[in-house]
Amino acid sequence: MWKFTLRRILIMIPQLFVLSVLIFLLAKAMPGDALTGAMQANPNVSPQVLAEQREKLGLNDPAWQQYGRWVGNLVQGDLGKSYVHKIGVADLIGSRLANTFYLGVAILVLTYLISIPLGILSGRYQNSLLDKTITGYTYLSFATPLFIFALLILFVFGFQLGWFPTSGSVDVGIDPGSGSYYANKFYHLILPAIAGALVSTTATIQYLRNEVIDTRLKDFVKTARSKGVPESKVYSKHILRNSLLPIAAFLGYDLTGVLAGNLFIESIFGYPGLGQLFLQSITQRDYSVVTILVMLSGLLALIGTLLSDIILSWVDPRIRIG
Amino acid sequence: MLGNTKKKIVSILFIAFVLVLSACTSGKSTPTAQDAPATNESVKESGKFPKAATNTAAAIEGGTMNYGLISDTPFEGILNPIFYSGNPDFEVIQFFYPSFFATDENFDVKDGGAANISFSNDNKTVNVKIDDKLNWSDGNPVTAEDYAFAFEVIGNKDYDGVRYDTSFMNIVGMEDYHAGKAKTISGIKIVNDKEVQIDFKEADPSVKSGLWSYPLEKKVFGDIPVADMSSSDPVRKNPIGYGPYKIKAMVTGESVQFEANKDYFHGAPKLAGVNLKVVNPNVVIESLKKGDIDLASFPNSLYDGKNVPTNVEFLGRQELSYDYIGFKLGKFDKAKGESIMNPDAKMANKELRQAMGYALNNEQVGTQLYHGLRTPATSLIIPAFAQYHDDSIKGYNYDPEKAKQLLDQAGYVDKDGDGLREDPKGNKLTINYAAMSGDTISEARAQFYLQNWKDVGLNVQLLDGRLQEFNSFYDRIEKDDPDIDVYGAAWGTGTDINPAGLYGSKASFNYSRFVSAENDKLLTEGASAKSFDMAYRKDIYNQWQQLMIDQAPVIPSLYRYEVQAVNKRIKNYDISYGGSYDSLAEIELTSDKPEVQQ
Repeated sequence: MWKFTLRRILIMIPQLFVLSVLIFLLAKAMPGDALTGAMQANPNVSPQVLAEQREKLGLNDPAWQQYGRWVGNLVQGDLGKSYVHKIGVADLIGSRLANTFYLGVAILVLTYLISIPLGILSGRYQNSLLDKTITGYTYLSFATPLFIFALLILFVFGFQLGWFPTSGSVDVGIDPGSGSYYANKFYHLILPAIAGALVSTTATIQYLRNEVIDTRLKDFVKTARSKGVPESKVYSKHILRNSLLPIAAFLGYDLTGVLAGNLFIESIFGYPGLGQLFLQSITQRDYSVVTILVMLSGLLALIGTLLSDIILSWVDPRIRIG
Repeated sequence: MLGNTKKKIVSILFIAFVLVLSACTSGKSTPTAQDAPATNESVKESGKFPKAATNTAAAIEGGTMNYGLISDTPFEGILNPIFYSGNPDFEVIQFFYPSFFATDENFDVKDGGAANISFSNDNKTVNVKIDDKLNWSDGNPVTAEDYAFAFEVIGNKDYDGVRYDTSFMNIVGMEDYHAGKAKTISGIKIVNDKEVQIDFKEADPSVKSGLWSYPLEKKVFGDIPVADMSSSDPVRKNPIGYGPYKIKAMVTGESVQFEANKDYFHGAPKLAGVNLKVVNPNVVIESLKKGDIDLASFPNSLYDGKNVPTNVEFLGRQELSYDYIGFKLGKFDKAKGESIMNPDAKMANKELRQAMGYALNNEQVGTQLYHGLRTPATSLIIPAFAQYHDDSIKGYNYDPEKAKQLLDQAGYVDKDGDGLREDPKGNKLTINYAAMSGDTISEARAQFYLQNWKDVGLNVQLLDGRLQEFNSFYDRIEKDDPDIDVYGAAWGTGTDINPAGLYGSKASFNYSRFVSAENDKLLTEGASAKSFDMAYRKDIYNQWQQLMIDQAPVIPSLYRYEVQAVNKRIKNYDISYGGSYDSLAEIELTSDKPEVQQ
């Protein structure tokens, strides 16, 4: 088990290297740079000044030199400076990471809170009206575009009923760190989290439903029933455990997906997070931020698969690799 | 009540659905050229917006106004006029760190601001005198040293913003300082605590409107290396200004709570405070209806003149920018630093360019696609420069018959009978048009132009068959991509009338690469010492406007209007150019609660 994990981690090093080369070249291949459009901000800015700034940023050096500098700094823990935001990329991402993390966790928790009971119920009472309703809901949520659903939720609960704040991650002027600060943050989190969770339950519900239906017919369940185990216990002890396997396989991805950011929700609810930062950095050609964010998500994907494998081999000894 | 809500939800869903659909089929919704209105009267329609809030009810004492910063991204939080680059940051800055100078309707500095200026007899030296009562919100006075310090920072080679421009280079000793050859800027002298004298190499009338207008507090920033200033706490966390409001609390990127600056040099503002928050453009209409925000700059693409909130008033003024159609006439020679025209360029024929101008029905684009927020442009100097815009120039009004006539005369006739004109040599003529993507209207507008041109027999195709994303658009225009013949773009004019940076033969932003001795002569004259005489300058720029219309290297297509939505409880708010210096300080409320649309 430890050998397996270690091997996987070692393999990540060349993977990350290839990833970094690809990301860097692709980022540089985008037309324009952070200074394209500077003349829109100040029509009098002289081209010589722009050329000077490009020189200062090292944009005129050959690509391999720029790459070397970037990776060199990266290895030393220097993520570079954002041209648009004019602060260190580490600080910039750090300032958005917390929000993204809270939102991601809230969506993940809500998704499982909704989908696990629904999946089990739907599988247990297969073909009943309840099952049909739940399946109907999964189809509907699968077909609903997130940005429309988020707008709708915001309109009804934010504007019409006025139960929730309509934008931001926290109210201004509350002392950071105090209890009421976190309560307020949580209050701002509810609506975006619900919007995100309600449309991302489909896969989990469907997987769980199928697994429950499959497992229900397995021999060991029949044995349990014939031994006189009460129906509720059959489900909670025997069927549920075995049905959760595929869910566990996804948990690794889901855990790292928490940090991926959610563009639509962030922008509709005015909730500053990494998703928005990523899009903005691409459109404004803020290379240092784009490359780091892609690297980050690449790293997260690698860790996610590793976690998934570890979790899976932990819950299911059959697939443990020696 | 319930039924009503339900209906609204359904209608919202429907609207969202239609939006999605229309995004796919916007080409189809293009109005056809045949429905063109007969007259040009609606050109003046945009005057329908008042420039000041018309509320006349009695004002309440104090009160807090809610300001909506309309943006789909958080504001960056570079809250200093010397370092910021994005407009969202500027919207925050205006409340606590306003410009030094009051300006008149020509954007020239006039007395009455936080500092006044006076010119020497030869107009080469300007004296800036800061108001005696002007203090930073940390209690220190705003001094001459602070103002001079701003020049030293912007001119420093480590400065990382975009403000170091030609107007700075014109200061005596600035280029030596920038190159590191001098420790100080020889042309900037501190006369006394509140007075600075600046010497310019050339007398340039643009100094009247383009003089740098913000100080930087030396006591706070003096010890910070220039390269680190933009990321320092006094810019990011606890910014200090001298405006009518000061920052009380802030969540970077999301919201700012301002309180009245009791020490403001023109007296405390009427409001007790302002709460600013970022509002996504998707929900701006709802936020206005509900009274969540009292004041916001309204996104043009959402304005349709009908389904707008009724509890707000719309104020409008001309935007300092214009849209234009440019023709690629040559290349920029980097080694020589000047444009070179190519006499064999596809668009080198003047009549062809003029015909393409007459073929465009910008009237209809303005009224139907932009709901009156854009109007046909007639000249490259926008009407907001009231003294300089030449009314008598009619520009390229929609006149397809004239376009056809011009093309016939120039030899562009249809020889093979396919309904499309060939070039004078009889070869097939396909013109590539580069257009930028942007809002939902961009595609419809590009398709409409193509149709207009087809109506006069010109085969114009969209470059690559699609709209170009902003960065790649300008990348290709800048590099004089040979695939581009015609392009549709826009320029911000700023408050400086001088167009030399965009159209001079040595200007790299002269994207059409048009070169003419007459053009260069007029542009030089317009920025010369003689042009301190306004009548003379007006005459020069009138000649220039006429020249550019006649030669048509670019054709101005649309002027833009910006609208601000103002809750009906707001009083004394005036957005006209050259209005009060204290327009934000004078705002009053006439009710504790915002007006709400039921």
